[in-house]
Amino acid sequence: MNARPAQLSLDQWERRYRELRADGLCETSYGGPLERHVRDGDTRLRTLRYDNSPAALRLWNFLLTEERRLHRARESGQTIVGAMKDLGTVPLLCYALPETVAFYPDGAWWIPCVMELQAGLLDIADRLGVNEAFCPVRAMLGAFVSEAHFPRPDLLVCSVGAVCDDFSAIAQRLEGLGHPILWWEMPHRREADPDESAVELPGGYCAPVMLVEVVRKELKRVGGAIEELTGQELTPQRLMASIRAANEFRATLRELRMLAYSVDPCPMGALELLIAEMLALHYCSDRAEAQAVLCELLDEVRRRVRLGLGVLSSQAARIYWVNPVADLRAMNVLETCGGRVCGTDYMFSHSLEPIPTLPDPLEALARVALADPMVGSSEARAKQISRDIVALGSEAVVISRIPGASHCAIESDLLGHWIQTHLNLPVVQIEVPPLIDSALPSLQTRLEALVELVMQNRNAKEDQ
Amino acid sequence: MTIYAGIDAGSRATKIVLWDAENRTILAVDAADQGIRQEEIAMGLLDSMLAGLGTVRDGIAGCVATGYARKMIRFADRSVTEITCHARGVYHLHPEARTIIEIGGQDSKVIHLDEFGRVCDFAMNDRCAAGTGRFLEMVAVRLETPLDQLATLKPHANGAAKISSMCVVFAETEVIGLLAEGTTPSEILSGIQSAVASRIVALLGSRSEAQSVCFTGGVARIAGMPDALSQAFGMPVTVCDSPEMTGALGAALLAAESGNERR
Repeated sequence: MNARPAQLSLDQWERRYRELRADGLCETSYGGPLERHVRDGDTRLRTLRYDNSPAALRLWNFLLTEERRLHRARESGQTIVGAMKDLGTVPLLCYALPETVAFYPDGAWWIPCVMELQAGLLDIADRLGVNEAFCPVRAMLGAFVSEAHFPRPDLLVCSVGAVCDDFSAIAQRLEGLGHPILWWEMPHRREADPDESAVELPGGYCAPVMLVEVVRKELKRVGGAIEELTGQELTPQRLMASIRAANEFRATLRELRMLAYSVDPCPMGALELLIAEMLALHYCSDRAEAQAVLCELLDEVRRRVRLGLGVLSSQAARIYWVNPVADLRAMNVLETCGGRVCGTDYMFSHSLEPIPTLPDPLEALARVALADPMVGSSEARAKQISRDIVALGSEAVVISRIPGASHCAIESDLLGHWIQTHLNLPVVQIEVPPLIDSALPSLQTRLEALVELVMQNRNAKEDQ
Repeated sequence: MTIYAGIDAGSRATKIVLWDAENRTILAVDAADQGIRQEEIAMGLLDSMLAGLGTVRDGIAGCVATGYARKMIRFADRSVTEITCHARGVYHLHPEARTIIEIGGQDSKVIHLDEFGRVCDFAMNDRCAAGTGRFLEMVAVRLETPLDQLATLKPHANGAAKISSMCVVFAETEVIGLLAEGTTPSEILSGIQSAVASRIVALLGSRSEAQSVCFTGGVARIAGMPDALSQAFGMPVTVCDSPEMTGALGAALLAAESGNERR
């Protein structure tokens, strides 16, 4: 069952799946061959390359069955909360309560990619005046309008303020279409003034105590709305248990990332790691199962590390990747160009950090919410990324701009400049739309050239 | 004589350089229009060049392919990006170069080199044809002047027409409007070249300053373009000899260097 690690096409996975079944593969209720998702319309899966482990199969199946899970939750009378933009904090309030599920409508930004535009979500957004001048997360609007992907949530919560202008505009349009939103304010994170008390945040950031208190009050308000909706009390004990479960998940994810990003040869490809990291946002609507999926993936990675097996050449250029991509294929492309991801900042690094253990769980959540890399200065983010780059031994950096995202237009240059100036590492900026096919030759050239540059620098070091 | 081949399978043309590694000299250069069967075109061109030297493909010691269709040249020993190949080719011709501007048919690049000819950094144009040979090609069509004769439209003494759009589609509309207003083709060409040059300067971004600038790629042959770049960069811009062949030359040199490593 444990074949030599490899990356397979969808067709190859078909054969592999039959072999695994013949060998007695035990699957979960959402298990099955990957090919069935293509039949359901996820045609982009044909172009991707996947890890060949049963653990990766489970990960993909878990990801691609979330819509069914949400519909089942609706049918069984569970409360569904759509947690938009805050990337990992509000879901912890939801999962503190029984029969309550959080999901992440922003995740719809991958539907145009996975369904290769066939769902028409971007067309719907266009018609609503939210055109390509906005980030691809505008697909979320289309998903709400078409009602073809997830059930209407019982409550929609969205952070606003120092987060993302595009997202706020898109969510405002959504509210205008008759989807009431509970907004909560995320202030801009800043250093404490000399006369203010400061508090350390996860991720090495600092903020004035009063900012933490502002966010705590906002989360208290959001929690109150969830309590009212569910008729259940968010007691400190329930919140602490939710934080403990989140911390367990995050610890598993940290070990997985550490092994996958640092060990040679690379034990697991970038695509599976991207999906694993995304689970930290809302757990694909089932936290307990997400933990199990992640643990199986970690077990497989540990096994490979123990055996010295990997999916990529040990000579692969070590690339740090900044920002998520709208087209998943981009992660495969880096690897076929001779690179490997050895660290990431997908703009939700705060969701990977351990949540502090404090007497007041809301304060703990407020601290971690304020550690969101988007709510501080670009310089603060650049410093944190740089620390990560150094710690992980990265040899080059890819900054993936998100088309239409207002923050990327300025921030990408600032991050690139900082990294080049302070770390003297090669940086390449790319822009990845929902489907990269037309830009593929150009993307390949950039990534291959970056890998060539890394190899040139390695050779130069050896010559010294 | 140990022959190495460099093939630059670009979007507009396939260029080949044959390099004699023993005598460190270029044996032959040639180019053919690009088509949909890139490998066949490259093979035909290479075979005819080798025939001229009285040899055949088996007689070459190594071959590197570059250019946008580099992966299609399956008979090459390996493929290397245009960025590395242009850097190598320009460094061979102009070791003093520290900044390379390469404007090809489909994209444009700024490459920074160190004193050893190593690539320190590069940037490529984004998204569209703005600032590429394709952009100038559109202008040539609108000015009813074949691309290879754009040089006959000397930059206009009275200055350049103002071109505000860098989108090929919108710029085309603008060019049509300017022609209708009686603006001369020379003025329009000057305006287009200034617009392309400012696009290239923007590629430098905030991170690097240009130094010892060398201009390469097919567009470097178009009269007025080097001057437009000099003006935009605020410094002299040197045009490589046979600028359209620099990538192929770099590929041939890299093939030879790999061959030396193997031996």
